[in-house]
Amino acid sequence: MTESYENAEERVIRTLKGRKALFRMVSDIAKNRRGLSILVISVITTAVAGTFIPLTIGEAVNSVNNRSITGVILFASIFLGLAMVQFASNRFRAISSTEVSQKTVKDMRDNAFKSIHKVPVSFFSIVKSGFLISRITNDGETIGDFLTFQIPQVVSGFTTVIMSIAIMLYLDFNLTLYALIVLPFLSLFTISLQGKVRANYLKTRKTIAAITGNLAENIGSVRSIKAFNVERYVEERFDGLNEENLRANIKASRLSSFYGAVVRVIEFLGIVIVIYAGALQLQSSLISIGILVAFIFYVQEFFDPVIQLSQLYNAYQSSIVGAGRIYGIIDSEKEEVPEGSRDKEDFTTDLSLKDVDFTYGMGDTLKEINMEIKRGDKIGIVGHTGAGKTTLSNLILKLYLPKDGEIDLDLVNTKLIMTKSYRDIIVPVLQEPFLFRGSIYENVRIAKKSATDEEIREKAKEFGLSRIFSRLPDGMETDVGELGRNLSEGQKQAIAILRALIREPDIIIMDEPTSNIDPFSERDIFMSLGKFAKNRTLILITHRFSMISLVDKIAVVDAGRIVENGTFEQLMEKKGLFYNMYNILYGKTDSDPL
Amino acid sequence: MSHNNFFSKITGVLQPLIFSLKYLKGKRWIIYILIISAALSTASRLYVPIVIGLIIDSLEAKAFSAILPAIELIMLLAGVSAVSTFITNFGSQYSSQIYAYNLRKKLVNSLTKKKVKFFQGNSSGDLLSRTTMDVDATRNFLMNTLSQLIPTIMIIIFALIYLSFLNFFYALFFLFTVPVLVYIGIIFQRKQRKHWMNIRKQYGEMTERLQEDINGQRTVRTYSLEDSQIAKFQDTTDSYFNEYMEIAHLRGFYNNLMPFIISLAATGVILYGGYTSIIARSQVGNLVAAVNIFNLVTMPISFLGRLIVWSENARAGIGRINEVLKDDMDEELTTSGNFPGENDVELRNIKIIKGKKEIISNLNMKIPRGGFVCITGETGCGKSSIVNLIPRLEEPTAGEVFIGGIDVREIPLDTLRKNVSIVPQEINLLSGTIEENIIFGRSAISHEAVIKAAKIARIDDFIDSLEDGYETLIGERGLTLSGGQRQRMAIARAIVTTPSILILDDVTSSVDPETELNIFSEIVKNVKGITVILVSLRYSAMKYSNETYIIKDGQAEILEDLESLDIFGYGDSR
Ligand SMILES: Nc1ncnc2c1ncn2[C@@H]1O[C@H](COP(=O)(O)OP(=O)(O)OP(=O)(O)O)[C@@H](O)[C@H]1O
Ligand SMILES: Nc1ncnc2c1ncn2[C@@H]1O[C@H](COP(=O)(O)OP(=O)(O)OP(=O)(O)O)[C@@H](O)[C@H]1O
Ligand SMILES: [Mg+2]
Ligand SMILES: [Mg+2]
Repeated sequence: MTESYENAEERVIRTLKGRKALFRMVSDIAKNRRGLSILVISVITTAVAGTFIPLTIGEAVNSVNNRSITGVILFASIFLGLAMVQFASNRFRAISSTEVSQKTVKDMRDNAFKSIHKVPVSFFSIVKSGFLISRITNDGETIGDFLTFQIPQVVSGFTTVIMSIAIMLYLDFNLTLYALIVLPFLSLFTISLQGKVRANYLKTRKTIAAITGNLAENIGSVRSIKAFNVERYVEERFDGLNEENLRANIKASRLSSFYGAVVRVIEFLGIVIVIYAGALQLQSSLISIGILVAFIFYVQEFFDPVIQLSQLYNAYQSSIVGAGRIYGIIDSEKEEVPEGSRDKEDFTTDLSLKDVDFTYGMGDTLKEINMEIKRGDKIGIVGHTGAGKTTLSNLILKLYLPKDGEIDLDLVNTKLIMTKSYRDIIVPVLQEPFLFRGSIYENVRIAKKSATDEEIREKAKEFGLSRIFSRLPDGMETDVGELGRNLSEGQKQAIAILRALIREPDIIIMDEPTSNIDPFSERDIFMSLGKFAKNRTLILITHRFSMISLVDKIAVVDAGRIVENGTFEQLMEKKGLFYNMYNILYGKTDSDPL
Repeated sequence: MSHNNFFSKITGVLQPLIFSLKYLKGKRWIIYILIISAALSTASRLYVPIVIGLIIDSLEAKAFSAILPAIELIMLLAGVSAVSTFITNFGSQYSSQIYAYNLRKKLVNSLTKKKVKFFQGNSSGDLLSRTTMDVDATRNFLMNTLSQLIPTIMIIIFALIYLSFLNFFYALFFLFTVPVLVYIGIIFQRKQRKHWMNIRKQYGEMTERLQEDINGQRTVRTYSLEDSQIAKFQDTTDSYFNEYMEIAHLRGFYNNLMPFIISLAATGVILYGGYTSIIARSQVGNLVAAVNIFNLVTMPISFLGRLIVWSENARAGIGRINEVLKDDMDEELTTSGNFPGENDVELRNIKIIKGKKEIISNLNMKIPRGGFVCITGETGCGKSSIVNLIPRLEEPTAGEVFIGGIDVREIPLDTLRKNVSIVPQEINLLSGTIEENIIFGRSAISHEAVIKAAKIARIDDFIDSLEDGYETLIGERGLTLSGGQRQRMAIARAIVTTPSILILDDVTSSVDPETELNIFSEIVKNVKGITVILVSLRYSAMKYSNETYIIKDGQAEILEDLESLDIFGYGDSR
């Protein structure tokens, strides 16, 4: 049984679990020293000022009892003063909490984004883009909200709790013990639910990621969905996921609400115990009424953050799960850069593949590939669909590494050449052209930053592409749209070709570059390509035999092996696979398929 | 400030609430329950200070016997409070999840109704963020409104009631704060609106960038664009961060002003209450209770500011969601009519303008029933645009399309598309098994039919070579299949239903010529009587067709002299 998408995804990007994710996040947050110090100071100031408030009120009450108007005025002013301090410190708190948390989230997102540029390409055939997007955007948002509102809450909660306990202890030791009696119960209760709560939230994050993944796919495939009239099917598939998400969320919130209710009861219990014990002590004149009033305030004051901290627990679980998922991306295994790797300046003698084997996981895709490509060679690669031509080019491009054997450039194993420098030497035209949003100019300029509009136009003409672009509404200024949807397929290919050629690489590898281009333009491209490649090395994968006269040697790939090799004449003489394929076009094969 | 204006501003905060009620059909009773339970929970929570005040009075009077019943009362209140807390929390989350569920469903529903054109104008990353995060922003607001705004309002109401029982003047102090709070709230809301709209936009942008980058990884890598892509992404996250900081500055001031106002009033109460109590030599229980109530109110009031924040976020989200819900880009549905008995196709006086450019000026084409016709022409001349007209994936600027003499606009869209199978040039495979991708959600297709289609498309050998055969999962966007394999999958998908008209838009471009001709002949052999329209640039395909049209200068003409296109001399030997 093959593994499901989800399991494969889990295998490739692990999710950092619970405490580990928390510690990681805390240490990330701690990197912003300045912001964090401001935050902590302002929060503590607020909390400390807050803890003095009941004391002040208690004193004000005592003054009333003592019939001291000056006392009332004094303590009322102190009360107002404390409120002003809180106002000021809260201001800093709001600003610094946003700074600290949004910065943390920004860094997490940026790092995740960087990470996906360092993972092996195979990563992307396992992980759905929707999952990645959901992790980076959606989970990031949850964390951002959580941190902005909850970090200060946590800091202030702890401060308040500690301050309250300290003041209570100062006021009356015994009564304090009574006030704290309920704490162990609260913790026990919290711990007992922990596992379930986390599992619930993991499920909610997973199901929302599935929704994002499904939507991304549907939006991307809308043309086929419409063409085949399967809107209903798509909706049903979505409904299923949507429902799963709903169920997961309801389950999670039921438990968290239950938790909140129980905590509420525990809080009241705490108050009651204090009142009762306080009354007894008052009865035996151990404390004054002012102290009891203050105490009652403190117990409430102390429970507020405790309750918040425990409510926060749900939000905490949900975002810690999210953080774990982003860290999963950040930590996913990178393409390794072997020891002793170095830059390669240029290509001088040859590119050779020695006994290269390759597999995508199941079965051998390429077997015992041997090729010797000298500088200046023009090599054609032909073969049936699915034979492994694109795979071969992926290996030469270092998008994948051989399972066995090696690929050497000037006798240096390409594994040991810094990828970036290697890709300055070799440039592809991929089988599927990819365009970024923006104009044609911008799309070409990715290959050569310094290229002016003028130069791009010149090159287009030189390579026989200007006729193709002339049809566009705004010429080369045309906004190509997402994935180049405003262009025809052939126009996209033309851009991909222009992009590669303008980079003037030593080696150019083209994977069916003209499959969607009409024969007239193809001829133009083909002629200019001959000129362009004069002093360069060309590897051309094609089904179009028209392109064959451009190359001096041909390798025929069949079922992952190179089965024939030689010049056009040699292969025709051989009367093998190439001979047969070629003759299909001439209508005089030995075994006519029609 | 006029009255009207004032109220519209207050209701402005609630606009997202009104929006969300639409998606809570049949569940609105929950909201009433929530209001009741919020009332209960605040009433009981706020009653506690009063009981405590009473207890203190009795303690002062050394009437200890009064304590036990008071404590029992508090525990009773605890019970009420616990139950209502549960209802409030669960109810608000439940209904907000139902809301999100319904809204998402509705959004997907409207998306599938949209014309293809809509998706050209909106990037998929942005649409994705509209259907996920913008929904979430509004859901979050709804949840917080139900779980916090209603209780807050209740707290204010009950605080007022209790205070007026305690002392009329205490209540007055409190009452003064209300308009001030509302006023601050309005200013706060207005100031942050722009920033939230930016944030939501930036969020869409972030999603877009991510998606584009992931889809284009191979290009990014092979052109060493990693650094510039990262820089661009960081620009987006930077602007996102900056907008949040702007809001934080506003929040820092306005949001904290609100509890401060309450404290100001509480100071007044202490001064006034203290003074009057001293003069009247009365007990302090009332005063303690009043200050305690003020204290309890501060917290929810500071939440009020946060709610305004969420409300603005939600509003910005609703704006973006509404753009998707609007129906001006919906496909028009014809509901009655049948698919014509004949399957000949005629395009009459077609004109297509894209952007500002006239692609097709005046095109006429007649494809006989059961014909095998090829359409060719230079890159970008409009071949795809023309064939897309037949199943109405695009609409012509002018002119008509007929099938069997009936205007396609008179055929219900689903009937039309069921009978016209088009394999678009751009192929989308969904994640799922090979079989699922061939069936592609259409009902009543047997496994045998799937196998037959795979045979015709010449993909059966490959599928059989796989360990899991037709059950093999294929990855996102069909990345694990080679170019030609994907095209053949798409062909299998199109012919598995035996359509009346089959359109293949250059779907053999990545297939080697031998396999290509095999596919054509299999189609002709197996699906008799259907009309096949082929877009191709290959000489071999043209030679195979009964007739070839060439698109030239925005018009179509029958290509009599095939050899004129054979510029590479396929016709002759080399
Ligand atoms: N990422 C991948 N993961 C797993 N299998 C893959 C992957 N990419 C390709 N394959 C498989 O490897 C084989 C060779 O594919 P490749 O793309 O190299 O063929 P090709 O010769 O380029 O074919 P075409 O002419 O159709 O483009 C195919 O059977 C394909 O299904
Ligand atoms: N959404 C759009 N907005 C503006 N122009 C468009 C849009 N879609 C296509 N075009 C333009 O319309 C013209 C015709 O495109 P179409 O895809 O029909 O060409 P085609 O003949 O199929 O080309 P190809 O052989 O390359 O597939 C092209 O010049 C293209 O730039
Ligand atoms: Mg290929
Ligand atoms: Mg086309």
